[in-house]
Amino acid sequence: MDLAWYALLGLFFASYLVLAGYDYGVGLLLARGVGSAGRREALTALGPFFLGNEVWLVAAVGILFGAFPLLEGELLAGCYPVVAGALVGVILVTVGVQLRSRPDDERIRARWDRVVMIGSALAALGWGALLAALLQGVPLQADGHVAGVTHLATPFAAAAGLAMVALVAVHGATFLTLRLSAEAAAVVGRTARRLVPVALTTVALATVVGLLSARVRDAVQRPAVAVLLPVLLVAALLAARAALTRRRPGWALVATGAALALPVVLVGAALWPYVLVSTTDPDASLRVADAAASAPTLRLLGWVALPLLPALLGFQAMCWWVFRGRTDGRAPVYW
Amino acid sequence: MDTLLLARLQFATTTSIHFLFVVVTLGLVTLLVGMQTAWVLTGNPKWERLTRYWGQLYVINYVLGIATGIVMEFQFGLNWSGLSRYVGNVFGAPLAIETLVAFFLESTFLGMWIFGWHRLGKGVHLALLWGVAITAYASAFWIMVANSWLQNPVGYEVRDGIAHLTDFGALLTNPSLGMAFGHVVSAALLVGGMLMAAVSAGHLIRRTPDFALFRTSLRIGLVTAALAITMVQGFGFAQFGPVGAVQPTKFGGDGPESQALIAEWTTRFGPGDYTPPVLASVGLGFMILIGFTLGCVWLLLPLLFRDWVIRLRFPLWLILLGLPLPFIAVILGWISREVGRQPWVAYGLLPTEQAVSPVSAPLMLTSLIGFSLLLGTLAVTNWVLLARHARRGAADPALGRPPAPPSEPAHPEPALL
Repeated sequence: MDLAWYALLGLFFASYLVLAGYDYGVGLLLARGVGSAGRREALTALGPFFLGNEVWLVAAVGILFGAFPLLEGELLAGCYPVVAGALVGVILVTVGVQLRSRPDDERIRARWDRVVMIGSALAALGWGALLAALLQGVPLQADGHVAGVTHLATPFAAAAGLAMVALVAVHGATFLTLRLSAEAAAVVGRTARRLVPVALTTVALATVVGLLSARVRDAVQRPAVAVLLPVLLVAALLAARAALTRRRPGWALVATGAALALPVVLVGAALWPYVLVSTTDPDASLRVADAAASAPTLRLLGWVALPLLPALLGFQAMCWWVFRGRTDGRAPVYW
Repeated sequence: MDTLLLARLQFATTTSIHFLFVVVTLGLVTLLVGMQTAWVLTGNPKWERLTRYWGQLYVINYVLGIATGIVMEFQFGLNWSGLSRYVGNVFGAPLAIETLVAFFLESTFLGMWIFGWHRLGKGVHLALLWGVAITAYASAFWIMVANSWLQNPVGYEVRDGIAHLTDFGALLTNPSLGMAFGHVVSAALLVGGMLMAAVSAGHLIRRTPDFALFRTSLRIGLVTAALAITMVQGFGFAQFGPVGAVQPTKFGGDGPESQALIAEWTTRFGPGDYTPPVLASVGLGFMILIGFTLGCVWLLLPLLFRDWVIRLRFPLWLILLGLPLPFIAVILGWISREVGRQPWVAYGLLPTEQAVSPVSAPLMLTSLIGFSLLLGTLAVTNWVLLARHARRGAADPALGRPPAPPSEPAHPEPALL
């Protein structure tokens, strides 16, 4: 039961990073100097999916609260600055994207677009750093609380945050390659291919910093899984580049999406059976089973979630199906 | 300043801003469902124009509802980790259900509704709006289940200092839930009706071109507001019984029942100040005053006959100037409900000071200032945009605008090729 809920939590958070990841990627790419028409085009490509993407985050935190209440409190409060930073980013993106087209003045729209860019960068940095915080362990004490927040300020957290920014940028560019009209897609496809080496560099940097960090080495319970993470990330990025070169943007998006889901899955697996590993007191480390809600709660939530999951996935799939294909003159425009 | 006070201030600020938006969301979506259903059934283009105009205001308002809602959700973990530690097994369940059953689908449906004009069949498009409305009500219900549990914890047992769920049904039959849910939902309808009436009144005062359109929405708004204010009053007064029974200290600690309860708490938790701040009673008093004032909406209904409400003009001004009142009242109502629960986060079970996260005061202060400034700025920006779009009229809202003619035939190519 604990494992099933832990997997479901991972599924929702990974789906959030994959889906909202291209929102943030498109947000970052608003900076690529394509003028107001180009930015309009990018946001039109994103439009119909935007609201359905960030709901995965809200649901993930809902599952975190309902099924892992102890983890919810200690993780969010214990990593306060990075969670708050990511949260500010999420808010800026959500408001910026939805309101940017409401004023008519192009200068105000351009200002909103900058808000979206900053928000996208903050969100990616924050979630990357949060995953790094899990992997490098937290100073969890015997009383069950995380001591202070200075444990977050490490080169590894910064490198992982940067890697996440690069990954969402590649992912966003790939998404645009799949969605934009043929001419615009060719241009952004080149951008995507050029971003792959950048992402590879940041992943390599995070890997080296992580391997050098004693905290990461101590916290990781399954080193083989942890080493697999950068290997698979590199493989996914290379596969994306190959698919882009062969003009297969759909497969490229699958590959970049995998690159965003992998960190969640493998960080969870590398720490198992723990979810928060203490850097100060090994006995204080929090196991997944101890972080989970008690059995009656999980049973209740199970009965709710079981029939619901097909509906949630079905309606999301309906959204992707209805608005599939490249954008053209008939694409619905709202934000 | 200590961490506890800062965390409470942040909760009050975020929740207040959040509620100002969700109350409009819930009220307007109900009226929109009526308008779009009328359009699909009658085919009268007037209803389509009304749906697009009010739909656009609804969608602009929705933005801040989500943004502040996400902050609310994270805030439980960031600022109130004790809440999840001690009572998360019970309190977390309705919140988790809310995100999965309600919000997830609400937002997914809304995205398809916004972009589905001229692309989906009329019936599917209408069904999506019904989906948005039903899930919005479900969302309000589950949030009220969670909040009512904090007011009156039921269906749990404490083992090793931690509450465990024993009877989920008790959460749904909580005496502090039923009437309060009715009260909140009718308040949302009141706000939706008043907003619709006031914006329409503004157009009728300025004699903008769309007379027929705004005449219709003025009438819908006024009738909704009148029915809703009566329900608000009914559900409001009906709460005194259950609240007095389960939370005797809520509006002062002088009665024999509150004295007995305070004596019991003193034995169990040690001596302390167990009476809530007087703000709870003050909020309640002013809210009731506003509630009675708004009851005067009924006096305007006879003036709908032969459009006297428009021809006399001064009633339009009254409606326009009365718009802030329901918003003030809903905030006062929440202050009364939440402050009246102090010094408990879960009444008689978990003291507020035990629920606050063990983070430093400077960090909490930074968070309070940062998020308040951010959400405050965004809220004001949102209201300015709402006012501008309301003022601009129904000539050509961006929502539901027909697409340009196709430049090339649309053949979606398969993505995975």
